[in-house]
Amino acid sequence: MREEQRQNAVWMFLTYTFVLVMVLVMLVPLYWMVVAATLPQSEFLQFPPRLFPGTAFFENFGALQGRINFLQSVGNSVIIAVVYTVLSLLLCSMAGFAFAKYEFKYKEKIFYTILATLVLPIQLLVIPLFLLMAQMGWTNTFLAIILPWAANPIGIFLMRQNMKSIPDALLESARMDGASEFQIFYRIALPTMRSSLAALAIILFLFQWDLFLYPLVILETPDMYTIPVALAQLTGAQRIYYDQIMVAASLAILPMILLFLVLQKQFVSGILAGSLKE
Amino acid sequence: MASEIDGWGWDIAARSLQLTAEEYNAEHDATVQIEEFGRGAMKDRLQTNLVSGSGAPPVAMLESIDAQVFIDTGSVTDLSDRIEEAGIRENFVSGTWEGLSTDDGIYALPWDIGPVAVFYRQDIYDEYDIDPDSIETWDDFIEEGQKLPDDIALLNLPENDLNGVWRYQFRQLGGEPFLESGEVNINSETSLRVARKIKEIYDAGVATNIESWSSSWFTAYGNGDIAALPAGAWMEGTLRAELPDTSGLWGVHLPLAYESGGSRATNWGGSNLMIPNQVSETEAARAWDYMMWTLANEEMQLLMFEEYGLFPALETTYDSDIFSEPVDFFDGQPVREVYASVAPDIPGYRFTADTPEVSAAMGTNLQRMIQGDMTPEEAIQDAAETVAENTGRDLA
Amino acid sequence: MSLSDNTIGETVRIRKRQLWDRFRYARQDLTEALPQIPGVAYAFISPFFILFSVFLAFPVFYTLYLSFFEYQGIGQGALIWIDLGIFWIEIPQITNLEFVGLGNYARLISDSLFWQSVANTTYILVIQVPLMIGLALALALALNASFLRFKGIFRTAIALPVSANIVAYSTVFLLLFNEQMGFINYLLTGIGVGSIPWLTDPFWARNTIIAAVTWRWAGYNMIILLAGLQNIPQQLYEAAEIDGANRWHKFRYVTVPQLRPVLLFVVILSTIGTFKLFAEPYVITGGGPTNTTITIVQYIYRQAFVNINLGYASALTVVFVTIVSIFSIIQIKLGGEN
Repeated sequence: MREEQRQNAVWMFLTYTFVLVMVLVMLVPLYWMVVAATLPQSEFLQFPPRLFPGTAFFENFGALQGRINFLQSVGNSVIIAVVYTVLSLLLCSMAGFAFAKYEFKYKEKIFYTILATLVLPIQLLVIPLFLLMAQMGWTNTFLAIILPWAANPIGIFLMRQNMKSIPDALLESARMDGASEFQIFYRIALPTMRSSLAALAIILFLFQWDLFLYPLVILETPDMYTIPVALAQLTGAQRIYYDQIMVAASLAILPMILLFLVLQKQFVSGILAGSLKE
Repeated sequence: MASEIDGWGWDIAARSLQLTAEEYNAEHDATVQIEEFGRGAMKDRLQTNLVSGSGAPPVAMLESIDAQVFIDTGSVTDLSDRIEEAGIRENFVSGTWEGLSTDDGIYALPWDIGPVAVFYRQDIYDEYDIDPDSIETWDDFIEEGQKLPDDIALLNLPENDLNGVWRYQFRQLGGEPFLESGEVNINSETSLRVARKIKEIYDAGVATNIESWSSSWFTAYGNGDIAALPAGAWMEGTLRAELPDTSGLWGVHLPLAYESGGSRATNWGGSNLMIPNQVSETEAARAWDYMMWTLANEEMQLLMFEEYGLFPALETTYDSDIFSEPVDFFDGQPVREVYASVAPDIPGYRFTADTPEVSAAMGTNLQRMIQGDMTPEEAIQDAAETVAENTGRDLA
Repeated sequence: MSLSDNTIGETVRIRKRQLWDRFRYARQDLTEALPQIPGVAYAFISPFFILFSVFLAFPVFYTLYLSFFEYQGIGQGALIWIDLGIFWIEIPQITNLEFVGLGNYARLISDSLFWQSVANTTYILVIQVPLMIGLALALALALNASFLRFKGIFRTAIALPVSANIVAYSTVFLLLFNEQMGFINYLLTGIGVGSIPWLTDPFWARNTIIAAVTWRWAGYNMIILLAGLQNIPQQLYEAAEIDGANRWHKFRYVTVPQLRPVLLFVVILSTIGTFKLFAEPYVITGGGPTNTTITIVQYIYRQAFVNINLGYASALTVVFVTIVSIFSIIQIKLGGEN
């Protein structure tokens, strides 16, 4: 008994140490980014490197806001990302459900085709997409950014994968009780997918948040810029406005933190058995 | 003419345009709106807009080095008729037109250029007894450089832009990267001279190999770890903005000649303005009007020069008093005279749509050469062959 | 008493089957058990599929089309037009295209910089993906452990790097790994190791990129794996414990098989993601030193946006997509479809 306890204790110690070290590694560059945001550029490009925050945050922020309307770009990014995430979650879970739980012609082929587009680098898609948008008169709209990837191959892949593990018996019994397919999807399948949906939400939100080259080309007026596009205006030919970029980047993390916190509850141990109790 | 148009530029160049646009708008019944972008961002966007035929502004900034690349896309308006009508061709430094023209026309109006000069730390030169007036050739320069202690370098050979170093010296010696008939010529005797010289400088132990524009680079110059900086005239603006604490410590002397009495006039950088051909006639007309106002106009060019350090390509400005004014940053030296003394003699240079290939190949190979992986002969020959292969051109 | 691995495995398997039967889980055999309700299936798929065809299929085909041409300049007139009665879609001819057939592909074969970029990308891939997945898996397991407290905080902290703007964090790494002034070398010299030429030496430059990418994406992958781990029914673990399985056995016989689909997902996604690497080398090393970190997509970008060789860039893209697709298919086959 004592041997086991000791082994357990050692294991716990190792695990905690590992996690803490990793947390440190992950946070140090971010910490430094925040420190950089609080120092005037001349001070943080020094050697030995400054480790403690300074007081120039608001100054840098003022300069940032003056050069590009950063707050507005945050707003734009958030709107686009949220709408995109919700839309894409819906589309991908519906499609994933169909691929996982129904049979139909060409199912495998269609699926692999969709998957294949995952491989495409966005760089070359930008020009044809821009052409398309220009034709449809959708340049400089949020719609032009949200729609193209709403049918996200990663989403459909993940949803299909995870939905496969929903017990068919569950769906059958619901069918026998007279539920429509959509109700089955909405009331039975989706709720069991909480963690997966949360994970997918993060994936989708992040994808949209990071999107750079395409919005750069589509968004024409500064009041429509998203964060990466706005930041790109700060890297000029010669001077890179480090201090302003760091302020912007530090602030840009906040919505993501918010997202993580909001989705916390969904990362609970999904016990399928629980849903079968009825 | 259209009453409202946009213009695109980056950095201080955009800001200088905003200045002249203000003046323009005040005196004309029109609104010219200049938007400032990040350089990379603007190029990405402009390229996409040009190529897809929509979204480009009536006036756009065009850097001399990639002018031919954009012109080659066929999306830039030919301005030769307008230029001839306005009779302004002779007013600009003659060496600037070649890079903006093809057999079919002239596609941009020159704006600013970068006559090369050597910015140097006077305090360091004085401390180690280096007399700028006695330096004429590279040999002189390197010899003087030996006076510096081990921890101070004479100059920097930027590992990310050896191609830039090669190009300004190659141009200085009258080299052309492509022949008129199109063959690749970067492996010529002249090019070999330049490559050898670069190697010589590095082997003499007087140069560092730091990435230019990096924080280390700025710090090194700020601390006085490097004594001299050969660069285009626009570097003045950068030094003032980035290293304000070194004000009063700098001086400027002419770039080095390859032999006594040899040419000391050459160029590094420069921008122009162009009109994409997808815009309407009325917009193009207004764009041209504004361009003339800003670039062919002495007052406006001098304004941009004074405020932002953009050295005018408009030769007729060179007899202005502003050039003989003492400049504090340079301890009272009337440095603008130095730039102006070489500007009119800047040789032309045959940029083409394949210039990016040359830049890439040369830059890579010269760095390898410095590191000792290639000899100068190998470096330029291999670069020439790579460019020829990638572009389908012949070797000269 | 120690049970042999085989016996334990056997027992777990039997238990598992009993469990599944007990809860009346149907066999996961798609072709037999699934209902054929085509109408509904199509209804579920159609929104996805419509958007997909319009916005993704068109660019794909256009790129393929362009790869057989050499870009010559702006053209007039329309490429194709579609008259849909109510509205009219016209895709303008954006170029005077010169048909070169397989010319671009031929050029590609002898393009040494392209192959260099393939070598660079592969090198980075082969090290970075296993490293990161291993890390992500270890972290996910750690954060799934029942005894661990503060899970939420740890989870957020570890996943946080993924929220940093790409340009910003690449800049941070650029500064951190700076040879003379960076924090990393400062630490290293402090503990006596001496400074490493992170960005000027080819070997170290690649490692810097690997470090940056791993740092950024490990937490992200951890989240996905965590979700997968949490989908594993507790009962399986309990059943295994009843049969005397220890930590390792539980991992090997319950976790790994159950996690396989998600793990495969994460591996494929990461592989594709690293194949497509662009931003980090672009900002941190610029493709250098001497082209030792330029990635395939970076090279494509250069051709498309700097040299404006659209036809060639398209051909490069086609080849790139083919290589990566083949690779991914192999991975799927090896990983085994569940």
